[in-house]
Amino acid sequence: MIQSKQYYLDIFKVDVPLLDAVIAEGLRSGGSYSDLYFENTSYGSLLLRDGAVTSGGCHIDYGVGVRVLSGEKTGYAYSESTLKADILACARAAAQIADGPSDVNPYGTRNPSRGEPNPAADRYPVKQNWREVPVAGFLPFLQALDANVRSRDNRIRKVIVNLAYSVSDILMYNSARELKYETRPMGSVSVSAIFQQDGALENKSTSRSFRCGAEMLSPALAEEMASDIVKGIDDRFAARRPEGGRMPVVMGAGASGILLHEAMGHAFEADFNRKGTSIFADKMGSRICPEGINIIDDGTLQGNRGAINFDDEGIPGQKTYMVEDGILTSYLHDRISAAHYGVKPTGNGRRESFRYAPLPRMRATYMESGSAKAADLIADVSKGIFVDEFSNGQVQIGEGDFTFYVKSGYMIENGRLTMPVKDINIIGNGPAALADIRGVADDLVVDPGAWTCGKEQSVPVSCGIPTVLIGNLTVGGQ
Amino acid sequence: MMDIKELNKTLEFALEKGAQQVRLTYSKSVMNLTGILNGEVDKTAYALDQSLQLQLFVDGRFGTFSSNRLEKEEIERFILSAIDTVRMLEPDQFRSLPEPGRLVKDALTGKELGLYDPSYEELTSARRKEMALGSSFWSRKEELENGFRVIAEEGEYSDSLFDSITIDSQGLYARHTETSFEIGYEATVEDAHGNHYSNFWWDAAPLLKDLKLGTCSKTAIERASAALFPLEIDSCRTNLIVDTECAGKLVTPLLNALGGFAVQQKNSFLADKLGKKIFPESLSIIDLPRVHGETGCRLFDSEGVATKDLPVIENGVVKTFFINTYIGHKMGVEPTIEDATRVKLMPVGECVTQEDLLREIGDGILVTGFNGGNSNAATGNFSYGIEGFLIRGGKKVHPVREMLITGDFISLWNNLVATAHDARPCMSKLIPTLAFKDVSFSA
Repeated sequence: MIQSKQYYLDIFKVDVPLLDAVIAEGLRSGGSYSDLYFENTSYGSLLLRDGAVTSGGCHIDYGVGVRVLSGEKTGYAYSESTLKADILACARAAAQIADGPSDVNPYGTRNPSRGEPNPAADRYPVKQNWREVPVAGFLPFLQALDANVRSRDNRIRKVIVNLAYSVSDILMYNSARELKYETRPMGSVSVSAIFQQDGALENKSTSRSFRCGAEMLSPALAEEMASDIVKGIDDRFAARRPEGGRMPVVMGAGASGILLHEAMGHAFEADFNRKGTSIFADKMGSRICPEGINIIDDGTLQGNRGAINFDDEGIPGQKTYMVEDGILTSYLHDRISAAHYGVKPTGNGRRESFRYAPLPRMRATYMESGSAKAADLIADVSKGIFVDEFSNGQVQIGEGDFTFYVKSGYMIENGRLTMPVKDINIIGNGPAALADIRGVADDLVVDPGAWTCGKEQSVPVSCGIPTVLIGNLTVGGQ
Repeated sequence: MMDIKELNKTLEFALEKGAQQVRLTYSKSVMNLTGILNGEVDKTAYALDQSLQLQLFVDGRFGTFSSNRLEKEEIERFILSAIDTVRMLEPDQFRSLPEPGRLVKDALTGKELGLYDPSYEELTSARRKEMALGSSFWSRKEELENGFRVIAEEGEYSDSLFDSITIDSQGLYARHTETSFEIGYEATVEDAHGNHYSNFWWDAAPLLKDLKLGTCSKTAIERASAALFPLEIDSCRTNLIVDTECAGKLVTPLLNALGGFAVQQKNSFLADKLGKKIFPESLSIIDLPRVHGETGCRLFDSEGVATKDLPVIENGVVKTFFINTYIGHKMGVEPTIEDATRVKLMPVGECVTQEDLLREIGDGILVTGFNGGNSNAATGNFSYGIEGFLIRGGKKVHPVREMLITGDFISLWNNLVATAHDARPCMSKLIPTLAFKDVSFSA
């Protein structure tokens, strides 16, 4: 959602001459670049528990972050006030990263209007602004979703439905006199349910999250989520831990993409490579997985949780091929790492809020479809695991080691799905797993869940993958 | 900065406009950070935050709100909108402020617990930079390099001042003030084959004089290089020893399962275990929230209820569910406290150091870090990735990685055989190195 320039200047009670003055103050001690990030976010939340929406609230976060770069070094300060004196004080604090007289003409020769936002290219148009809907307008959706879930299975003992939404007005300005502004919506619905059968308890949850307006709260969404919650619950009760060991793993399409995010995506973020800590630090241009595999980080998927018109440094959102035909072709860059490597920024400079300096972060990370059929990949495995749903992934960037918790899946025996499995971990090494991909199906799904990446700061992302067969991973079992 | 007079006026405004009960918390924090990359200052950050949180009880309904726009007109507009919002929610008969007799009475200055260090006010940018760089070992890394090279060293020194005041419409006044000083370093080393190994070390304290600055980076390098040349071993059942640095990972799921919300929602494997002896006689965990000068201690919870020492698990018996006012009303039980504050697992046996414990246990696997994994809150089943060392004859003989431990928490804790007495005071939970028998490892 992109409104007029004046809308944003008014919200933050600033004008361009003031922005210029703050930038000049930030560069006074010799900084080489400075930028400002203004944010006005309204958060809303509603919680349905025990059949009623009895808890809710609203939260306002407002402020400005000032960043000064001195080469690759960062000075950062923020203020929750946008009064002139307070922003200038921030600029002085951030400027301390540099310690000499400025030799930079902060504005160069660039045209200040260059690259202003284009509403026609908006990746998150809004039909119904969250801010304009009274809370009472959301209750029927939550109540209908609760009733829908409860009607599907008499083993359900508890249901929790959570709606969280936010609208952020963002204004960015920098020492190249680039002015960017937009309004970012986000809506997320999550449902969890506790089932009881013969004294045993099981929990299941599902979520949906999109950069869009309140129009997302449709009967179709409620139907889809209610269906998700009860799907596979019989197998969940029947599931066992398998015998552990090393074996082939088939990752189901969609949410298994979290493995791609954690085990490979983070290692492609350029800050880890610039500092030499990533396992891929010296692999640019090298083959890191079999031919035909493309891995992408994409900020251009309309309405996707990871979509961006601009990153938080004002660089346009884009689609970045990290791996093309099995060759490592690009890291994910912010301005600092792009300058370090002498390449263009890829639009991955993102931050949680004005309280944080931007870092290279993923957006929507996925592997493109291959040519195999999912059923054929499963049929190729004599003994292994099919993973339906992962959670709680973690990776060690230096070593490349990763661990993922399997919420649900199945044993594969002689090419067929057999015993349901749960509550196990899969552990492996990112580069080794990439190199050991044996097949990629033609069924890419970008998962619509509320994924949040927690690298130092929390930012919304999404992930996806087609069904993929990996030759050998460690499965933790009995 | 809002003062108590402005806070009281804000509370009165909310009552005038229709709230029957109100709780307000004003909090302010200041943070300075100096980051180091390979022996040089890489980043600095300065942050000043303040916010007002409101809990509004209106016509039998309840809502939670917050804003950092604290001008009088903005707050009043926000409160009016908040009250309208609460009125649109469904009624909840169980919501109310705590019974007044449970509220804290002795948190008047915010400094009663000795967590505020006045020397914080005198710190300069130069001193902060000096402390951050003083823990760097980059310029001397060659002293340690032996079959590996140090390829990156990242560190951070940070300090903060946090101050909050909570008041409510029953007359509660509760203040908490604390300073915090923290140093942390991460090192990445590379072996001759190009394999990378990273590890970290850190320390934190509420008083600057207690912060151990000197050897963070050196310890991080030593920990990273200790993981060189890991061994792949077969799946097995053996003794599990868990370093104090990560032992809290096995205690947190127990505390979560004792949380009133999880119990009320039947999402707890301990939901029907209150008063029952389900753990070994040797297991006792207590909550000690009021120890003077100790990290994380507090005189009151977020409702303003006074904290007190509580047995959580005593000689194997589950003694406490963490029940706030709302959950207490909803479950029809007496409330206790909202959450654990500063839990301590009472040491078992005579071993003082981790080395003593390893000698006593003999063989097994020492876990020095968890890599991912999860537990099922409803069943208590868990599966965690681990890294650490193979132990033979009481000594570390080889690093191990790409391994998993699996089991369920009740069985695991029933296999607790001994602990050291080495809990680190900088950590929020005082959990020493733990030793369990007969644990399943997958590799």
